[in-house]
Amino acid sequence: MPRPDESPKPLIELDHVHREFDGGRIVAVDDVSLSVVAGETVAIVGRSGSGKSTLLNLVCGLDLPTRGAVRFAGRSIAGRAAWATIRAEHFGFVFQNFCLIPTLNVRENVEVAMLGRGSDGRRRGERVDSLLGRLGLAGRSHLHPTSLSGGERQRLAIARALANNPDVLVADEPTGSLDRDSSDQVMEIIAELHRDFGTAIVIVTHDREVAAVCHRHIELADGRVVRNHAASADGAADARRTQAPSSP
Amino acid sequence: MNELTLPIRNLLGRPTRTALTTAGIAVAIAGFVSLTGLTSGVRHSLSAGIEEPGADLVVSQRGAFSLIASTVPETLGPVLSAVDGVDAVSGAVLNLTTADDAANILVAAWPERSFLWRSVNLVDGRLPAAGEEWSVVLGESIAEGLGKKVGDTIELQFQPYEIVGIAAFTSTFNQNIAIVPLKGMQELLGRDGIVTLYQVRLARPLDSDRIAEVKRRLVEAAPGYHVSNTEDLAGDIRLLNLIQSIASTVSLVVLAMACLGIANTLLMAVSERTVEIGILSAIGWAPARIMRLIVIEGLVMSLIGGVIGVGLGAITMELVTRTEIAAGILRPYLTTTLVAQALVAVLIAGPLAALYPAWHATRLVPADALRTN
Repeated sequence: MPRPDESPKPLIELDHVHREFDGGRIVAVDDVSLSVVAGETVAIVGRSGSGKSTLLNLVCGLDLPTRGAVRFAGRSIAGRAAWATIRAEHFGFVFQNFCLIPTLNVRENVEVAMLGRGSDGRRRGERVDSLLGRLGLAGRSHLHPTSLSGGERQRLAIARALANNPDVLVADEPTGSLDRDSSDQVMEIIAELHRDFGTAIVIVTHDREVAAVCHRHIELADGRVVRNHAASADGAADARRTQAPSSP
Repeated sequence: MNELTLPIRNLLGRPTRTALTTAGIAVAIAGFVSLTGLTSGVRHSLSAGIEEPGADLVVSQRGAFSLIASTVPETLGPVLSAVDGVDAVSGAVLNLTTADDAANILVAAWPERSFLWRSVNLVDGRLPAAGEEWSVVLGESIAEGLGKKVGDTIELQFQPYEIVGIAAFTSTFNQNIAIVPLKGMQELLGRDGIVTLYQVRLARPLDSDRIAEVKRRLVEAAPGYHVSNTEDLAGDIRLLNLIQSIASTVSLVVLAMACLGIANTLLMAVSERTVEIGILSAIGWAPARIMRLIVIEGLVMSLIGGVIGVGLGAITMELVTRTEIAAGILRPYLTTTLVAQALVAVLIAGPLAALYPAWHATRLVPADALRTN
C-alpha cells in the first residue's frame, strides 16, 4: 500500500489507555499510547491473548478504557452514545466472524448501516447498488447471509463497512475464517479502498502476509506495545512514538 | 428497508413465541372489551329501556344496591303528580325472574291506567284489559326466543300468565321484557303499596333548563329519594358500579399479566440477539435507536394483540349474551370509545412492558456482545 501523503494530523489517539477485566485481575491493555493518522494503514500484531482485539475495540469505542483517554480528530470521546455517532460517521467494521444479521438479506445488511445515520431511501438504494456492484455481490442482493460462501460474506461485511464512506476501516482478523484465495481477494479489496479513497485501515491479524501490506506494525505482548514501527522496503523498523500521542 | 424491517423480521423469525405473546395480549384485551362492554351494555340498555315508554325522570330509592331492590311507597305518587311541570307519573315494579323456570326474564309491572302503556307498540294481540291481573305483554325478542305467541301461557313468579299481546320496542331491554299489571305482581311479591320506582313524564315543551327546574322541584317534594334523568339512573345503582369495578380490576390484572408476557418475550429476544445488538451498536446505531427497535417490537405485538382482542371481545360478548342465563339481560355493547380505550391501553402497555428489555439492550457493551458470536 502507498504511504500517506505528508504528515497528516492524528485521527485516532490513545493516551495511556488501560483496559482491565475482572476487577483488575486481568489486564488486557496496559498503558498503551499510540496514534493513527488519516489514510494510514496499521497492522496490530501479536500472539493470541496479547490484547490485540481489546486494543482494536478501544480504538473505535466498541469498548471503553478503564483508564486513559481515547481521542478522535482531537476530541476526547467518552460514553457509548458519543461513540455510536463517531462510529456511524467515521468507522467501518470487518470482523473475522463476518457479524452479519441473519434475518436481513444481502442488500439490507448493507443498508442497515446507513439506516443508523438516517439517510434517505433513494440515496441508500443508490449507494447499496454501487457497493454491491463493486464487491461482486450485485446478483446476490436478495439472498440471506447463510446462503453465501465465506468469501462472499466477508465481501458483504466490507460493503456494509463502506456504506457510510468511513474515514477508518477497522478489521479484526478479516481473513481469519477464509481460505487463501478468498483471503487474497478480501485483502485486495481492502488495499483498493485505501488506494482509491485514502481510507485509514487498522487491522488486527495473525497473518504476516496481511500485516505486510500495512504501513505500520504495532506489536503487542501482554497488553503492552513492544514495537511500533513503520514497515520499510528492507523490513527495518522505523521507530515511532509509543507513549504519549502528539497534540492534534 | 425502513425502521420496521428489523422488528418485523425478528418477530416473524420466532413465530411461535410471537404468536403466544400476541395471543396473551389478545386474551387480555378480549377480557377488557367483553367485561366492560357487557357492563356498559347493561347500563345503556337499562337507561334506554326506562326512557323508551316516555319517561323523562325517574324517582327511586336513594343508594339502592340494585334497581330491583329499590322500594318506593305508592303514597309518593300523588306527591310527585302535584309538582308543577309534571305531566304524569307512573309507579313500576321491576323484577328479575324465570320464565317457565327456564330463561331469565325481566318483568315490569305497570298500573292499569299508567301512561306507560301508551308507548307499547303491539305487533300482535292487545293490552291487558281492566282487572286482568294474570295477563302479560311480551317483548318481541323474548317471545321469539321462548317460542311464545298470543294465547299461550307463560309462568312468571310461579304464576301462570296468559300472553295477550306481543310488542315491538327499539331497546333491547324492552324487547326482552314481560309487562304485566301492577296489582297482581305486587301481590305475588308481597309488595302491596310499594313500587320499585316512579317514572315521571314532564309537561311539554321541554328543554334542558325546564327539566333541571322540575327535577329540582321533585327533589324538594320527595326528600330522601333519588331523582335522576333516565341516562343517569344506571350510574346510581351500586350493584352496577360494583360490577363495573370488578370488571375494571379483572381487566387490569389480566392486562398486567399480558405486559409481563411481553416483557419476558422481549427480554428473551434481547438475550438471544446479543450479537445482533452488538453489530448494530458497532455500525453506529445509537443506544436510543436500539431501544426504539425493541420498543417497536413490543408495540407491534401489542397492537396486533389489541386488534385481535377487540374482535375476540366482541365475539365473546355475542356468545355470552346468547347463553340461557344471560339472554335478555346482557347485551353486547361495543362502542368506538371502548375500542379506543382498548387500543390506547395496549399502545401504552406494550411499549411500557418493552422498556426494561430495551434498556437492557442498550446496556450491552458492543465488544462484549460481539464476543459472544
